[in-house]
Amino acid sequence: MKNRKHKSDLVILFATLGLMALGLIVIYAIGPMRANVLNSTYGSNYGPNDFFIGQLRSVGLSLVAFFVAFKVIPYKYLRKWAKPIMIVALILSALLWILAKVGSPLAKCELGECRWYNLGIISFQPAEALKLALVIYLADFLARKKEEGSIGKWRDFWVPLIIVCGASLGLVVVAQGDLGTGVALIAIIFGMLLIAGVPAKQYLLMLAIVLAVAVGSVALSSHRMERVDAWIATLSGGESSDSTYHIENAMMAIGTGGFFGVGIGNSVQATGYLPESINDSVFAIMGETFGFVGLILVISVFIAMLLRMLKVADTTQPNDERFYVIGVFSWVLAQVTVNIMAMTSLVPVTGITLPLLSYGGTSMIFISFALGEVLQISCYTSREVINYNENTNSRRGVRRTHYSSSSRNSRNTTRKTTRRN
Amino acid sequence: MQRSKILKRVVLAAFAIIAVRLFFIQIIEHDAWVAKADEQHTMLETIVAKRGEIYMMDQNEPVAVVMNQTTYSVIIDPAVTDKDGIKAALNEYAKDNISADLDKVFSTEGLRYSIVARGVSHTAASKIADKGIAGVWFQKSNQRVYPEGELASGILGFVNADGLGQYGVEGSLNNILSGKDGLLKSISDVNNVALSIGDDNVKIPAEDGQNVVLSVDRGLERGIEEITQDTLNNSPAEHAAVLVMDPNTGEVIAMANLPNYNPGNYGAVKDASAYNNYTTEIPYEPASIFKNFIFSAAINEGKMDADTTYFNEPYTEIDGNKIWNAEQRGSLNNHTLTMRQALYWSLNVGSIQALKFLGDNPNEITAVGRERMYDYYHNKFRLGQATGIELIEAEGFIWDPHADIYGLNAAYANMTFGQNLSATMIQTATAFSAVINGGYYRTPTIVKGVLNDDGEIVPLDGRVTATEGDPHGVHDVGEDSGRQDPSNTAAGRIEDKILKDETSAMMREMLINNRSYKLRAGIDREGYDVGGKSGTAQVIVNGAYDDTMTNLIGSYIGFVAPAGEMPKYLIMTKMWGEGQALSGGEAQELFDVLSNYVIDYMKIKPAW
Repeated sequence: MKNRKHKSDLVILFATLGLMALGLIVIYAIGPMRANVLNSTYGSNYGPNDFFIGQLRSVGLSLVAFFVAFKVIPYKYLRKWAKPIMIVALILSALLWILAKVGSPLAKCELGECRWYNLGIISFQPAEALKLALVIYLADFLARKKEEGSIGKWRDFWVPLIIVCGASLGLVVVAQGDLGTGVALIAIIFGMLLIAGVPAKQYLLMLAIVLAVAVGSVALSSHRMERVDAWIATLSGGESSDSTYHIENAMMAIGTGGFFGVGIGNSVQATGYLPESINDSVFAIMGETFGFVGLILVISVFIAMLLRMLKVADTTQPNDERFYVIGVFSWVLAQVTVNIMAMTSLVPVTGITLPLLSYGGTSMIFISFALGEVLQISCYTSREVINYNENTNSRRGVRRTHYSSSSRNSRNTTRKTTRRN
Repeated sequence: MQRSKILKRVVLAAFAIIAVRLFFIQIIEHDAWVAKADEQHTMLETIVAKRGEIYMMDQNEPVAVVMNQTTYSVIIDPAVTDKDGIKAALNEYAKDNISADLDKVFSTEGLRYSIVARGVSHTAASKIADKGIAGVWFQKSNQRVYPEGELASGILGFVNADGLGQYGVEGSLNNILSGKDGLLKSISDVNNVALSIGDDNVKIPAEDGQNVVLSVDRGLERGIEEITQDTLNNSPAEHAAVLVMDPNTGEVIAMANLPNYNPGNYGAVKDASAYNNYTTEIPYEPASIFKNFIFSAAINEGKMDADTTYFNEPYTEIDGNKIWNAEQRGSLNNHTLTMRQALYWSLNVGSIQALKFLGDNPNEITAVGRERMYDYYHNKFRLGQATGIELIEAEGFIWDPHADIYGLNAAYANMTFGQNLSATMIQTATAFSAVINGGYYRTPTIVKGVLNDDGEIVPLDGRVTATEGDPHGVHDVGEDSGRQDPSNTAAGRIEDKILKDETSAMMREMLINNRSYKLRAGIDREGYDVGGKSGTAQVIVNGAYDDTMTNLIGSYIGFVAPAGEMPKYLIMTKMWGEGQALSGGEAQELFDVLSNYVIDYMKIKPAW
């Protein structure tokens, strides 16, 4: 039932490769400073190029993952293995939690949060795998439910969905204390639910419930509330404190960049003032280095990539593939916007990486794999936008074509795509 | 509406918000963030100028008596450091320097900075640094060290915690010694390590202070202080001051202010008056020593000589005041005596007679006499005025010859024997130098010069004060009025012929005659001319002379010379203590010992 294979989406391809290259350049410039700061503060023994080499390794592995997903593993296999993949991902997270509870050295903890497997020279973050697994699983689940016509039904649809998503969120947010990944998961879930055609009332009700729980849990957690207070303090120009230090220094880096930036290698904030300068705060360092113009360019690349993913989704016929693309889209969108908004003090700091740019292996490898599959899917799009009647409350089967109420879209409303394999 | 359009709008809306926000931060608020960042990134570090060392002379070679030592403070970040490692390292290498309770430091929640040891030597600090313990760093500081301990504390002074010289040469020559601090301004990383980033980095090198060489002889100073301290220990006196000068050059060879204190531990001194240099900072009434000056004036003006006679009564009445001789023996009272005898017996009536001679009327004190005496005391001998020596100085007081007071003649009569006026030891000794050296008044000095890079001594050229800026070391010293900033007075050294050769020779002869019985007693040695004059001053208590004679200051001034030659060294002694009746006799006994010590130490060859 697929369209005939054609060339992949070049925007997504080059955006992915370009962002990886940019990340490498930035890490190359500030890696030595990071090494210096860690060495003099914690007495560690990093070489000046260790971080660049590490990033080079991550990019290499990510490229392998990207092209393996793109060329080697057809999406249908992912769909076939969706359930086992989800189960394995959940087990990995659950196992980490248990290992951390019993104090195993296999669980790597920082600042009291245990989010990594310690596998000798490399560490592995199961939450990243969980994000990919959830996207694959939900794409299959939603496509099946759509075919069954059971979307929106309590027992057949909401109950299993809530169990899987609740387990995922519970393991990530509660067990690993990883609010950033939690936000990404929620974005993935609600992005996919939106496209899957969940009735609007149910959708909004669920969104309201999740947001209420999220706000409630933040208000009840003192260290998260501290971040919110810090955020409010920076917004309102209140007193500086240890909590506001991170945001202030991120904004200081961005602010000093001005129009064109201070240039590569001239970042002062990266010499230890800005925490997490190579990870979560790399956007701020880029703001200092490349200025307003550079940041707008970087953002434009992300926008182009995201809009192209929407376009791929719009022109992809199989539901599971469509939902998958939307899942990856939501994932990237959530991480990019939440990361940048945190750095510019639009939202509280949550600790979330900037896809493809931040230092760190697991997140880049998994998102590269996810994008590789999107690229593969982009090879089978139709020329026209396909409008499934997503907005239906009808219990009628989805196989029938409906006319959109929107006159603007009327000319695209039928399955005009004819070229099939 | 197609649902993917919602997502598209979410994308565009989110990034529109971000773009506006970035424009706001990067363009509109740019300058504010740059200012804030500069404040955070710019490191201003003072490059501390090395303070000059202080040298004394020893066998005609300069030797350092005040030096600098670089020490280190050990600072830790208790949150990241290896607690056991730093504890062990400190205990091993700098146990005595630990300045904080380590257990308390480590148990303090949230502490990120703590100075745990001070005054750590370079060797120990580098041993600790070699351990490579995280979160440990060192702060360099310069410490003043005084290897001679308490020696010459009154001359040297000390350097306070702010690095400012206080008292002594440290205070008076602070500008020369301190040099000028440099400045390092640079962008630095979070650990305050300077970065090469940034183009307005500034480095102004420090100008090190100069090494000052004193004219004081270290060995002689030590010997004089030891002898004087011994004398002090066996006397009711609480304080003693001794001045040894070369009367021919004005150079101070030794200057003792006892008891001493340790400048390296100046904080242990309980009474700040102990910091004073008694020879230059404390004006007092030197008493009969001043008879030399009225005698010199009258002889120099040709109004009398050593053999001029007068009728010595037990007292003389001036302005209704009976002024008595201290010496009331029958062989003197109501006898005709020579002026030589008057000086020998230190007769007040005799010195008043000299003033009468000076005023051209042997029977009473005249205005002309007062004017002439004032001219000598104030203008020629410069008594009551700061001398210009390179030390903190006080002035003194001499009555104006036309002062509008009742009993001015009585005041002048008192001034002939050194009462009812005030002068410091250095003023008195400098004036006395002129009396014995052929009549030359020379500005006294305690500084030979500064050491140049070749180790040569370069004189200060009277430009002691040439360095610009506030001589703060001087201002901080105390509130005593009349204290002089030496930088204002030593504009140039004075050399002024104020007495005729014959006057000086006649004075020397009389002063040697004063001690002729000491020669007969074997105290002074054959082959040397030793001359001197004592002074016993009543102390003013509650505005009037204390006639109970229980509160006296004893002084003695004299010189040593090979027989028949010009004086080599002038020695002045002063002993006092609250409530102690100390006559010139005690100061004289100290002089007796010191004059022989100076002859021996300076290897003055006798002449026969």
